[in-house]
Amino acid sequence: MTATIKAPPPDRRRSRGDLEARPIRRRSLGDLKVALIFLAPATVGFVVFYIWPTLRGAYLSFTEYSLLSPPEFNGLQNYERMVQDGFFWNALVVTVEYVVINIGLQTVLAVGIAMLMYRLTKSITVRAVVLLPYLVANVVVALVWYWMLDFQIGIVNQFLGWIGIDPIAFFGESVWGIPTIALINVWRHMGYTALLVFAGLQTIPTYVYEAAEVDGSTEMKTFWRITLPLLRPVLVMVLVVTIIGSFQIFDTVAVTTQGGPINATRVIYYYIYERAFTRFDFGYASAMAMVLFALLAIVSLLQLRLLRAKESDLA
Amino acid sequence: MNISRRTILKAGLAGLVAPAVAGCNNGAASRGTGEVIYWLWDSAQLPMYTECAKVFHEQNPQYSVKIEQYGWDDYWSKLVTGFISETAPDVFTSHSSRYPLFAAKDQLLPIDEYVAQDNLDLTIYQPRLADRWIGADGKRYGLPKDWDTEVYFYNSALTEAAGISAEQLNSMTWNPQDGGTFEQIVARLTVDSKGRRGDQSGFDKKNVAVYGLGFADAGGSDGQTSWSWYAASNGWKYSEGEPWGTKFFYGDPKFTETIAWWRGLITKGYMPTLAQATSGVDVTTTFGAGKYGMTPNGSWMLGTYAGLKQVKTKLARLPQGPVGKRMSMMNGLADTIWAGTTRPEASWAWVKFLGSKTAQDIVAKAGVVFPAVTESMPAAKAAFAADGWDVTPFLEPVEAGDVFAYPANPNSADVNAVMTPAMESVLAFEKDPSSLAEANDEVNQILSAAS
Amino acid sequence: MSVATRRRALTPGRTVAWVCLIVLMLLTLFPFYWMLRTALSDNTQLAGNSDSLLPVESTLGAFKRVLGLATVEEAQAQGGSGASVNFWLYLRNSVVVSTVTTVSQVFFSAMAAYAFARLRWPGRDKVFAVFLAALMVPPIFTTLPNFVLIKNLGLLNSFAGIILPAAFMTPFAIFFLRQFFLGISRELEEAAMIDGAGHRRIFFGLIIPMSAAPITTLAILTYINSWNDYFWPLLVGQQENVRVLTVALGIFRSQTPQGSPDWAGLMAATLIAALPMIILFLAFAKRITNSIGFSGIK
Repeated sequence: MTATIKAPPPDRRRSRGDLEARPIRRRSLGDLKVALIFLAPATVGFVVFYIWPTLRGAYLSFTEYSLLSPPEFNGLQNYERMVQDGFFWNALVVTVEYVVINIGLQTVLAVGIAMLMYRLTKSITVRAVVLLPYLVANVVVALVWYWMLDFQIGIVNQFLGWIGIDPIAFFGESVWGIPTIALINVWRHMGYTALLVFAGLQTIPTYVYEAAEVDGSTEMKTFWRITLPLLRPVLVMVLVVTIIGSFQIFDTVAVTTQGGPINATRVIYYYIYERAFTRFDFGYASAMAMVLFALLAIVSLLQLRLLRAKESDLA
Repeated sequence: MNISRRTILKAGLAGLVAPAVAGCNNGAASRGTGEVIYWLWDSAQLPMYTECAKVFHEQNPQYSVKIEQYGWDDYWSKLVTGFISETAPDVFTSHSSRYPLFAAKDQLLPIDEYVAQDNLDLTIYQPRLADRWIGADGKRYGLPKDWDTEVYFYNSALTEAAGISAEQLNSMTWNPQDGGTFEQIVARLTVDSKGRRGDQSGFDKKNVAVYGLGFADAGGSDGQTSWSWYAASNGWKYSEGEPWGTKFFYGDPKFTETIAWWRGLITKGYMPTLAQATSGVDVTTTFGAGKYGMTPNGSWMLGTYAGLKQVKTKLARLPQGPVGKRMSMMNGLADTIWAGTTRPEASWAWVKFLGSKTAQDIVAKAGVVFPAVTESMPAAKAAFAADGWDVTPFLEPVEAGDVFAYPANPNSADVNAVMTPAMESVLAFEKDPSSLAEANDEVNQILSAAS
Repeated sequence: MSVATRRRALTPGRTVAWVCLIVLMLLTLFPFYWMLRTALSDNTQLAGNSDSLLPVESTLGAFKRVLGLATVEEAQAQGGSGASVNFWLYLRNSVVVSTVTTVSQVFFSAMAAYAFARLRWPGRDKVFAVFLAALMVPPIFTTLPNFVLIKNLGLLNSFAGIILPAAFMTPFAIFFLRQFFLGISRELEEAAMIDGAGHRRIFFGLIIPMSAAPITTLAILTYINSWNDYFWPLLVGQQENVRVLTVALGIFRSQTPQGSPDWAGLMAATLIAALPMIILFLAFAKRITNSIGFSGIK
């Protein structure tokens, strides 16, 4: 990870480029003292509310723990069980299907919307409208769509009826379950993601575009050759964050299908939650959460590597 | 630089300490020693329990009750968090599907001693109701507060249009072979898009406008509002030693033939497919839209059906099955005391009060649920009648004793995790009813591993 | 933006772009129209008039219930719940929680991001990677221990208890700001250094003003997240005096296992709860665009 997310070392006195010749004032410690001060508050929150609970969770993954009686160490048993557990593997497959649909569509739409907001109109109303779905809590978003997509009385199926299409059992049909849930969350998050991308677009200096225009580049060419490469650091961040979030899909499933029909939407986090709080199998749930954690770490690492998030090509 | 560093540090420390100090004033320690915290989930019942708390305080000035209400889903997560962090309420409403596990994990206070010490008369409750709250370990964990059974809620405009009388609806018979008169009625209530009925020639089962029978889901491990009464009236039992089953019978032919018949209604076009039935808000809303002729449901749903203003809803008895009886599940709620309570005496006083006729009369008059105390029933009946409901079909099986218990089990969550997908696979025609035998083996494995 | 301005002529490409934008807008807005239509309908009439594009038996009853202006009897007659709603108090609580959370989280995260992006110290990228990994921590690990900690600190039912876990940082905020801080050119920073400015002055006088757009964006998103947070405040702050809007309005969701939500009430609640956010966004939206200023610096 270190190699990939290295920032340009901020030099105090010289222009960048002459790293070798830098006079080292505090020897190898650099700005450590200052850094410690700047990091102190965040570190407190980080250690107390993230690190410690995670270490505890990691420990519990090696125990049998029913939440209501003390944990008992049982070595690797939870992990061994997981290998045999068909529900677990099914949950992984279902989750990946969700992430692919959700992230694929959402990212394309978000970059598109951001470009439209950047190149087409400066209207603040447009920006506000785009962010609107994000203002609604995800549980409520799920409920609203559940209502709108109802097989018998949902307005969407009424629409389909008016244009001569048979109603669709969006939540009841196995093949539709995950795509439906993925699309609901695309609806909620595309504007939010677009806003992040938009913030990134604004860091691209205008002179680059001016130069491109002088060269007679078309809008499309400019997008592929200039905008997208320069957007990379922000895009990587957006992807890492949204993919991690996407893997943890829970609320929408809990409110609508609850894992059904059969096991078609039993995503990993819903299964973990079920094990932990409905079936009081917290040790096993922790082990699955650890695997999810490791999986996300690998995916993020790969992303950062593949996309060289290092810095913008401008720097 | 030095100054700024210190300032930042100080600011950080102050930020940490100040809220911690300020917060101490708001801690849970501030509540009085006679105050009981009581939880329930049904907001419709909040007003009547608030009334109960008022009367309780008047009768017992040394005690008071603070009621907190959370919706069903939040209720259980918050309760479990409360158990773990020692912040659970002193007294809370409990459900047959949840309390066995809580009792097994020592989270509930047995009340046997209190019952003995106060010489409590448990015969004031509906028969068998109080004993539902005796756990697998033989200890009593709660006093019943209400009970429920199932009936069919039917759309009377649709039954009249089909020429089906209330008498016919209330004298239905059922068997797993041809479905009896029940199936005939369901067929007649079903109407396709061209207005042809399910029992008429040319009926197009691919384009149904109104289904004779609606259903909420595949029923999971209990089938309370979906298939439980068919199976029971076919002579089937959930398990050996009901309700504390050690061995389940989901593979029993009496059960599988019931389910095979039930899902057959989908093939015949009288009932929506599982996909259609479960793809949407809920069965009552669809019923309220006039898309179902009738839907089975529990007595706790009376208020919801009353809220469906565009259909005129009436109640019909469950059908008489091969055993020659109408069988209904009888379940109910109870008030239980958390084992970790710091004020057991006050908690017991409140539980005892809620289980008394005084409190149950208040509950009965609200007309939301059926009170557990037999003598409070007339008041409830009158309250429901005032809302336009003749609740007799709910009461008959109880009076006749033709009821069976909810399959209570400390492992019911695990059992459900197996049975829900298994039942859905069958209802979705992905597996045959005979596959339930495999699911049953899995269930029994879970039970034997746990004991 | 000058480039964009010069290209105002309606070329075929721009026409297609406008059509796309309008379609996306409609898809975004329709569910809101449906919420409004449902909120203005009579709850008991909704099921039977599912194909009506206009409110059914239009009434302001749902909004009254949300604002706590209806009595329990009225609310129940309209298919609502029996719980009372003290709207303005919950609104105040939400504002307190979201404002304090946002200010402190964004500020502390910006400090950390500065250390990760603009300072040079051994192990920096490794430490950053560890912070980043916190993004992946499954919430089931954190909720229970954090709850127990807040309880042991005696902070249950206090604003501090609701705010504390999110007050110091979120991995996202640090990651987000770090990426933007990385993009700021060093010439100005160097010039400031030569003028004898310390890190404090560079941070407050240079980095923060130059990152106004991303910081505003982040602050708005943080505010929205904090505003919409449900489960944590439900666990920690149930008392009336600290109960936030989302928790209080949870009453409009289904309360019983087979029950339906109070649809009209839920939609009205959702719209009312989103309103302050929309106002906030419109107030700050201009600032998001003002970042163009610093592209000239490079």
